[in-house]
Amino acid sequence: MSAIVGIENVSKVYRLGKTEVRALRGVSLEVERGQFLSIAGPSGSGKTTLLNLIGCIDTPTEGRVIVDGTDTNDLSERALTDLRLRRIGFIFQTFNLVQVLSVHQNVEFPLLLQGGIKRGERRQRVGALLEAVGLADHARHRPNELSGGQRQRVAVARALVTGPALVLADEPTANLDSETGGTIIDLMKDMNARDGTTFIFSTHDPKVMAHATAIVRIADGQVTAREGGGAMVL
Amino acid sequence: MGVLLRVAVSNLRASKARTLIVGGIILFGALVVVLGSALVDSIDRGMRGSIQGSLAGQIQIYAASSKDDLALYGGMMGESQLDPIEDFAALKRAVEAVPNVRNVVPMGIDQAMVVTGNEFDFALEKLRADVRRRAAGERGVDLATRYESHKAHLRRMCALLGEELKSAHAIVDEKLIREHAQDVWDLARATAPAFWADFDSDPLNRLEFLENRIAPQSLSGGFTFLRYAGTDLDAYRDAFDHMRIVEGTAVPRGQRGILIGKLFAEDWLKLRTARRLDKIREARRLHKRIAADEELQRFVKENQEQIRDILLQLDPAQARIAAERLSRALGRRDSLVLADPTDELRSLLVELFSTDDANFDRRYAIFYGELAPLLQLYTVRVGDTITIKAASRSGYMNSVSVKVYGFVEFRGLEKSTLAGMMSLVDILSWRDLYGYLTAEKAAEINAIKATAGLRDVARENAEADLFGTRRDPGFGDVARIGELSAMGVVRRNTDAALFSRVHSQGEIDRGVALNAAVTLRDPSKLAETMREVRAALASARLDMKVVDWQQAAGMVGQFISLARVVLYTASAIIFAVALVVINNAMVMATLQRVKELGTLRAIGAQKGFVLEMLVLEIGAVGVVFGALGAVLGAAAVWLIRARGGIPATNEQLYFFYSGPTLQPVLSAASMAVSLAIVLAVSLLSGIYPALLGMRVSPLDAMQSAE
Repeated sequence: MSAIVGIENVSKVYRLGKTEVRALRGVSLEVERGQFLSIAGPSGSGKTTLLNLIGCIDTPTEGRVIVDGTDTNDLSERALTDLRLRRIGFIFQTFNLVQVLSVHQNVEFPLLLQGGIKRGERRQRVGALLEAVGLADHARHRPNELSGGQRQRVAVARALVTGPALVLADEPTANLDSETGGTIIDLMKDMNARDGTTFIFSTHDPKVMAHATAIVRIADGQVTAREGGGAMVL
Repeated sequence: MGVLLRVAVSNLRASKARTLIVGGIILFGALVVVLGSALVDSIDRGMRGSIQGSLAGQIQIYAASSKDDLALYGGMMGESQLDPIEDFAALKRAVEAVPNVRNVVPMGIDQAMVVTGNEFDFALEKLRADVRRRAAGERGVDLATRYESHKAHLRRMCALLGEELKSAHAIVDEKLIREHAQDVWDLARATAPAFWADFDSDPLNRLEFLENRIAPQSLSGGFTFLRYAGTDLDAYRDAFDHMRIVEGTAVPRGQRGILIGKLFAEDWLKLRTARRLDKIREARRLHKRIAADEELQRFVKENQEQIRDILLQLDPAQARIAAERLSRALGRRDSLVLADPTDELRSLLVELFSTDDANFDRRYAIFYGELAPLLQLYTVRVGDTITIKAASRSGYMNSVSVKVYGFVEFRGLEKSTLAGMMSLVDILSWRDLYGYLTAEKAAEINAIKATAGLRDVARENAEADLFGTRRDPGFGDVARIGELSAMGVVRRNTDAALFSRVHSQGEIDRGVALNAAVTLRDPSKLAETMREVRAALASARLDMKVVDWQQAAGMVGQFISLARVVLYTASAIIFAVALVVINNAMVMATLQRVKELGTLRAIGAQKGFVLEMLVLEIGAVGVVFGALGAVLGAAAVWLIRARGGIPATNEQLYFFYSGPTLQPVLSAASMAVSLAIVLAVSLLSGIYPALLGMRVSPLDAMQSAE
């Protein structure tokens, strides 16, 4: 199994006014393809920062982040954005759908950003995913007409529509009740099993963690434990 | 592009309030620009046409050595002082050679004094005519009746004058009474029964006495200043298409004469009561009301008080007819046959002129229908000869008689006292009036100067002294001349020889002018032609200033530019405000959408995409609402035109509008310009918030940054 993500001695320092915040200190990690990995830790532990770095939304202060064989330090901002578009999918805690677009249009959006995909094919891919997440009947609805769980399912569909190698989810169930949250995790797991897409999600909810195939525990900016597949590198 | 548009439009629809506010401002701006341009364009076109077609032509030429700049409508301190163009013919030859030139018209614009009417003189004329006819042996009942009637009229006028003088003395001090002692004595003589009893024995002497001693006391009108242009009248008519002869005829080719400005005649030569009635009528037509307007009330009062002129004009026979007519028209059933018919007429007139909003239109109709035919409404009529007097620069007074051939009006300026009051006089009379020498006379003087060794012979003095052309209104009576030294007089007899003489074009051209108006075949080539004219004048060695019509029109011409400046300023202010407001609204909107924009960036939208999306949003608003505003502006223009245009409620507006109403004219160019401005402003105000939005980081999509 090859690593889809490689974190090598990464540190991230934020400047908050006059103070420095060390969000990550010398973290090293490898994630293999097809894993359903959970990054667990309390708030303030640095899990979101780690996720941001993996997702190429942010860049490390020290160290290297290698995504799908590419060192992100070598990439320009434009290239990073393109990488996100084509290789990574995002699911947010607050769903982050475009309010003015319909469900169908929201899911379709990344395909339009990619360009070069004919309308028929787009419709087919969006349709298939909406089926898979069980929202085919809601294709014309606006996000504000859906429940939290439904919205997150749209987000899952959107994240997968480009056929990414990697999907990142930042506390995807935090705004959902436990039953709905469970459903979402199950959905994500199904997708993971179906396509072999690597899922990395951050959470502090132990119930959610229970579903993961591998867990990375993080606290105070450092990885404290690694459970499940793959070796732990300190 | 499709997704961009879709997202942009959807965003706009989602925030309706913001979109409408921003859009509303843009709409307003576009409307102002379109409507404003239409109005200003039509004002510009109208005034341009009026000024160019009445007096200015496209180009004006005057002597470069002149102290002042040319101001066709008068400058701040009266007329501009120009040096004369010595030989207009040479200038004309040089300028006419330029191919685009159509006419070259000489002008001398100035003001002169003309005396307004004197009823006493008219009455004297009538009686004198009768006396002459009787002396020639004519008999007959008709003549006899007229003679008696005219005699009685004069007698009544003397009586009226005597009354007036008495009532004037009642409120005047001793010193003035002593000064007027001679007048009193004369009037006493003229009103004495003996004077009239044996009038027939020596009518001519009696007439002369009345003329010399009594007539001057009854000068009721005084004199006024007539603004006029001395010009080649035929060339003028050919060159200026806004000139219109409204009464009478043009002055016959090559002859001397005057065309009096119609507006001038209305204001200064018309019976004042009639003029006031006209003004009230005008005001009422513009929805002013006597009851509410102080000025109109003053007019009514003056009409009631100043009926003397009317009384003086009517001889006893006419007075009786007038009284009968008015009595009938005013529905006076109990028509008292008073001892003195004058009193009855007086009371009828007072009643007639007691006008209010309810009865005004009827009373106006009565005045013009019943009374006016008996009166001489204008002190000068077509066919009369008037004397105009002016002071040359050295203070020497000169006067000239001219025959009135007609009244002239300028289309678009009919009611403008600023620009529409001009009268036109033949250039030869003008040259005489100002003592300008012709080229031949100048040469003669130079020759004399050379031989006699004279150095400073001023033009006016030279002509007067050497050629004896001093003209005063001589009546053959020194005393009268002394009294009337500053006045001219209306005379009915024509100076036949001078007036019927036909002058050649050469005589008209070979002489002095103060400025020359140039009209072009193709007015659009103005700048180019001005250069050619300058070159032509230079090579003819004539040192002239060549200016365009707007410059020559001075302050008046600048009104047009002023209107444009006002429009531009107003638009600029509106759009500046729009820019600020839109900018603020958009910045706020962008800040509200940070998470959304961050999300787009996170899922792979490039910075450029976000920028384009935001710019498109504001651009779409700009285009849609801008177009809407332009359409509304066009609709407003159409509506104004459909309702007959904007009426001119006072004289200044009449001049601006070049007519009674302003009809705005829409042009495709101005609509395109307004859309372009609107779009530019929208984009400009949206660019900063768009840049802000572009810089939103994908990190901002996250709930919180740890």
